[in-house]
Amino acid sequence: MANGQATPTPLSAASSPAAPSIGAAASSDMRGQWQRTGALLTSRRWGLILSGLLIASLGMVTLCSRFGAASVPLGDMFQALMHALTTGEWDQASIGTSGVILLQVRLPRVLMGFLVGGSLAAVGVTLQALLRNPLADPYVLGVSSGAALGAAVTMLLGIGTTMALLPVLPLCGFAGGLLTLVVIYRLAQSQGRLPIHSLVLAGVILNAILTALIMFITSIMEPNRSAGLMAWLMGSLIAPGYPALAVLAGYAVFVLAIVMQKAQMLNVLTLGEETARSLGIDTERVKKQLFVLTALLTGAVVSVSGMIGFVGMVVPHAVRLVIGSDHRLLLPASVLVGGMFLVVADTIARTLFAPAEMPVGIVTALIGGPFFLYLLLWRKDRML
Amino acid sequence: MGLVKTVFSGVGALLLCVLWMPAGGAFAHDEMPDMTRRQQGILTGMPFMAHVSSRSFVDDMGRKIYLAKAPARIVSLAPSVTETLFAIGAGSQVVGVTQFCDFPPEAAQKPTVGYANPNVESLVALQPDLIIAPQQFLKFDLLGKLEQLKIPVFILADRSVEDIFSHIQTLGRMLDRSTEAVALGMDLRQEIARLKARTQGQPPVRVLYVLNSQPLITVGPGSFIDQLIGLAGGVNIAAKSAMPYPRLSMEVVLQEDPEVLVFPIGKAEGISESEQQAWRQWTTLTAVKQGRLRQIPADLLNRPGPRIGKGLELLADLLHPSPPSSAATGERP
Repeated sequence: MANGQATPTPLSAASSPAAPSIGAAASSDMRGQWQRTGALLTSRRWGLILSGLLIASLGMVTLCSRFGAASVPLGDMFQALMHALTTGEWDQASIGTSGVILLQVRLPRVLMGFLVGGSLAAVGVTLQALLRNPLADPYVLGVSSGAALGAAVTMLLGIGTTMALLPVLPLCGFAGGLLTLVVIYRLAQSQGRLPIHSLVLAGVILNAILTALIMFITSIMEPNRSAGLMAWLMGSLIAPGYPALAVLAGYAVFVLAIVMQKAQMLNVLTLGEETARSLGIDTERVKKQLFVLTALLTGAVVSVSGMIGFVGMVVPHAVRLVIGSDHRLLLPASVLVGGMFLVVADTIARTLFAPAEMPVGIVTALIGGPFFLYLLLWRKDRML
Repeated sequence: MGLVKTVFSGVGALLLCVLWMPAGGAFAHDEMPDMTRRQQGILTGMPFMAHVSSRSFVDDMGRKIYLAKAPARIVSLAPSVTETLFAIGAGSQVVGVTQFCDFPPEAAQKPTVGYANPNVESLVALQPDLIIAPQQFLKFDLLGKLEQLKIPVFILADRSVEDIFSHIQTLGRMLDRSTEAVALGMDLRQEIARLKARTQGQPPVRVLYVLNSQPLITVGPGSFIDQLIGLAGGVNIAAKSAMPYPRLSMEVVLQEDPEVLVFPIGKAEGISESEQQAWRQWTTLTAVKQGRLRQIPADLLNRPGPRIGKGLELLADLLHPSPPSSAATGERP
């Protein structure tokens, strides 16, 4: 990534004019201190942290694929994997039940957990910077409720499950999200600009309306069916199969790549729109782009996994506490940490009460909350 | 101490109840949970069931109600209750039902009051002298309001097939229709015994009952449907679950390998055709290999009422198609 190089952050750039007057020695002292406290982003630090997290993520995905409600012997797993890899036969008959459990149920689910967690965390980081609000999370925009409503309507009407290889439920959910995005955008826009406060307000109000509509649907459904809908809404990571997973992955990577290119602009935007504009950034354009991109990603994620709380809001804060707030590092690191976090939480959710499963949102809040509080006590100074 | 205080006020309440008893009328005797009252009974030396008369009834939440005479205006808050009331010949006393009460057809003609969220005003407007509600979807604030309005509420929890029988008897006693209730109970028992005898000798069939498909919710131990599967000569593959209605892991489904998938169907609570077809992607399942994806009307099996005999018969037919020799052909519709 080109902008991950050893350029000083805007923060240090802003304060650096003072440094030469103090003298070279003092400057290098300060530089050393910044480096130690993580205020300065060097390419070495960027590379080290991200490669460390990447290796940890790979390890976590492998480790979590080991555990599941069904106990599959390690030998069987390995055999099925080797068979599938060497012969290229992925059909269920040739890989056997163990293979199906591992390769078609567990692995896609773990991968989807990683994708969803990473996407939610990335959207959280972006929105917290864009809206300059520490409470922002992917669901604040209202797009998530639109997606959830789309899915709820699908369930109410009992429309089919697959259409041209892709599951209908996520498609309808995504359509709902898109529609909401358009409405919010039109509501918030005024004279070609997109003021933050009207964006947040429009999002919150629309969120309330759409949530009410979802509640309405659950209340008119037969109780057994509405229990099913509620279970889905509370977050359910059930991978719809590799084609759908590939579509989601391609989509998430595409959006994340664009957002990542704007990391430097996010850094500037956190200083305030006025400052950002005076530094030569077309804030309106960046805001609109980022808003549309994150909303699209949220809609996609919600339509495949329901509303998984906590990840999008708290993972960015936790990562920021540990590695600092330079978005060039914070954004990719949050993606990896968010992915790992949701994979671990989902592994607990699907194994703790096996053969039954828990909604993953419960686990994310119950293990993530105390951990975040611990970080907060440890690094309280960084919050100030 | 809060406990002591509760006990003393409890004693007062009990004494009041005893004093008030001859006055008759229908009211809820106390609003305290079962445990508290049992403690009171022990602590005060007052026998727990001291003032149970033949017209006192204890519901499944341990609440006791006293009905001086058979109620004439009953609101039923569950389709299963409505069916039971009609089956014991008390249909004319039913003045209100839920929007899902569609059997017998006459029941659908009655005024509806909602199901999980019944409207208090329309409930009161029907002037019921008894409301019969399922525990599963009853809201506590609604119960509190109805108790405050002195409308007796009798709560039923159907956790087993035996519960269904005992509810039929209780409702029969309550409505002075014991003869009909006993006859209905006998018929049901005989039907179940006959089906049990039919399926007994045959090899058990592994079953997955798909209560909800997306995400998968099924029945586990502690639900009457789980028992019905056993009675029909099946083995519920979710038997190891600790919950009556668990979200079952797909991994476990693949490992336990059901021989039959049973889908409830119906307009309000069924699994849609396309959701059923989606199960065909799991080609290693014996049920899919043999094409044994089976449907059963949801209102026969999901409702703990007098028609479970019929539901059980259908289920037994699905699991053990007669004649028994053609069990594996799976060609039955």
